[in-house]
Amino acid sequence: MFRTDEIIKASKLPPEGVAMSRHIDHIYFIPILFITIVGTFHMHTALLCGDWDFWLDWKDRQWWPIVTPITTITFCAALQYYNWVNYRQPFGATITILALGFGKWIAVYTSWWWWSNYPPNFVMPATLLPSALVLDITLLLTRNWTLTAVIGAWMYAILFYPSNWPIFGYSHTPLVVDGSLLSWADYMGFMYVRTGTPEYIRMIEVGSLRTFGGHSTMISAFFSAFASSLVYVLWWQFGKFFCTSYFYFTDDRQRTVKVYDVFAYATLAHGDKAKIGGKA
Amino acid sequence: MNAKQAFKRWVLGFCGVATLAFTPVVDVTPAFAHGERSQEPFLRMRTVNWYDTEWVGKSTKVNDVTELRGRFHLSEDWPRAVVKPHRTFLNVGSPSSVFVRLSSKMNGVPMFNSGPLDIGGDYEYVVKLKARLPGHHHIHPMLAIKEAGPVAGPGGWMDITGRYEDFTNPVKTLTGETFDSETMGGMTGIMWHLFWVVVACFWVGWFMIRPMYLVRARVLAAYGDEILLDPIDRKVGAAMLVFVLVVVVVGYLAAESKHPISVPLQAGETKVKPLPVKPNPLAIEVTHAEYDVPGRALRMNLHVTNNGTQPISIGEFTTAGIRFTNKVGAAKVDPNYPQELVASAGLTMDKEGAVMPGQTVDIKVESKDVLWEVQRLVDILHDPDQRFAGLFMSYTEGGERLINPVWAPVLPVFTRLGA
Repeated sequence: MFRTDEIIKASKLPPEGVAMSRHIDHIYFIPILFITIVGTFHMHTALLCGDWDFWLDWKDRQWWPIVTPITTITFCAALQYYNWVNYRQPFGATITILALGFGKWIAVYTSWWWWSNYPPNFVMPATLLPSALVLDITLLLTRNWTLTAVIGAWMYAILFYPSNWPIFGYSHTPLVVDGSLLSWADYMGFMYVRTGTPEYIRMIEVGSLRTFGGHSTMISAFFSAFASSLVYVLWWQFGKFFCTSYFYFTDDRQRTVKVYDVFAYATLAHGDKAKIGGKA
Repeated sequence: MNAKQAFKRWVLGFCGVATLAFTPVVDVTPAFAHGERSQEPFLRMRTVNWYDTEWVGKSTKVNDVTELRGRFHLSEDWPRAVVKPHRTFLNVGSPSSVFVRLSSKMNGVPMFNSGPLDIGGDYEYVVKLKARLPGHHHIHPMLAIKEAGPVAGPGGWMDITGRYEDFTNPVKTLTGETFDSETMGGMTGIMWHLFWVVVACFWVGWFMIRPMYLVRARVLAAYGDEILLDPIDRKVGAAMLVFVLVVVVVGYLAAESKHPISVPLQAGETKVKPLPVKPNPLAIEVTHAEYDVPGRALRMNLHVTNNGTQPISIGEFTTAGIRFTNKVGAAKVDPNYPQELVASAGLTMDKEGAVMPGQTVDIKVESKDVLWEVQRLVDILHDPDQRFAGLFMSYTEGGERLINPVWAPVLPVFTRLGA
């Protein structure tokens, strides 16, 4: 079904080398790459869209669908660069969001429930997995990161609100307390006391995006899509900057060249390795 | 790395691991308060002057409803360093949500949202609380002021008995459904998350079952990506794209049909008028104030005029939730008020008698107690703006209480000789 045999043959690795490469795959992929993304990306998200993702009463029609996709497409783009350009693996965004979700659910049950006693439904994180899958699939089908920035990143942001509505739609159910109209999400935020998070910190439909006939969500989603596209390009370049390996080689005639093919390093003779300058 | 460096790193690593390992078993005294004493004195004394705070029902069973209520005055001597109360929120300072707050009202107005308050105004608040987590909890009223932060009121202990497992909080919505705040939406959310995790794991797993990194990198470097881009991956990718889009659309429509009536999050501004100002026949002005550091006393010279028809006796000086009383004031203190915040013989005057109708008198008042240091109000001497503010409580012969806000600069006295 797969081209695995053909690929292994082309790699020119001996059988024991192939076996070793699988060990490296597993050791590298699960404990190193995944856990590193959990730590770094979870912190990144907590800092940049923290309250929007922490609390039910922050998930409004305007800022939540703007802030979340823009701040999370970042690592997806960088990890897509790494996985696609170096290995042609189209799961960079999905593995990034899986790792983020893993970190978030640890936080929901340790920080929010076990430590702070807030019920999980009040601190339920949003899901970005459908968006990430579409982003990855766009890269696989187009094989082009520019088209992914235009189509995939737009889809990433546009899909965010509808894919989360099954999880959070109920929280917009109206109720009346003391003669005041509230949504269920508002009342949850009011009932569960947060000493350090007064109500006025929330940014609920602040700004002028809602003036377009009251269609806050649509306008926000399209603005988010546009911004996500730009952020995708920027973070793809970050990925390139941090994931490009090279070394400088000075030959017998004292000519120094920058060599991007890091596998060439292994083929150098021992004497030639001594001639390498700069950083490898 | 030589052996010495390696050994050093090993020792450092061992110390780190040992510290982490032993932390849970070290007998650490739990903290029961919220660091309210760490707030600067000028913030506690010159912004919100709390009074009549009541923790109704010192012991409450899980699921029972109790109240936190009281009044506060917004000081006319509001510090320049603190943003004015253009947007405030009445909050509760508690160790997590040990109570569920069912409602809160300020001067009768529901305070679900934030709003502006008037400096110099008095406000009465009632917060209805439903007991949730058993324990012995330190509860404060709190006024959060945008761009200035929270100002905690006096803290009192409230006990909750029973079992958390018995806690329920059903609320009826406008659509006729009943939601329980502890569970509503939780299982649906978890199921959707799990569903997408399974789909995502399938997608990653599809590539994990084949050589992932080293082999592919070598092929890519040697031959480009023609071999690596397996046609079956594109087919699976296209199928997956359709599947994801269909599930998102169907899920959205299903949620819409399940909850067809919805409103956006409500974030208006609550406008509350201050309590009506009662006529006060007593006028009090502070003409001089000094803080005696070794004597732990705030001394004030008061210029007092009684414009009323009854004799009036000064009974209490209160600031930052701390109450200095004399005999007159001590008789009026609610016995349930936290005793650690009351200096029951802490207020002395050189003229103890009542101020007669029509009389104007200068009185030297001393509010003296170790509470100045325990509550860290002596730190006023380290503030950039050395002033104080508070409330004098006086009583007419007929028992009516009069409240006079006061404020003045404070001069420090550092030695007993100076006193």
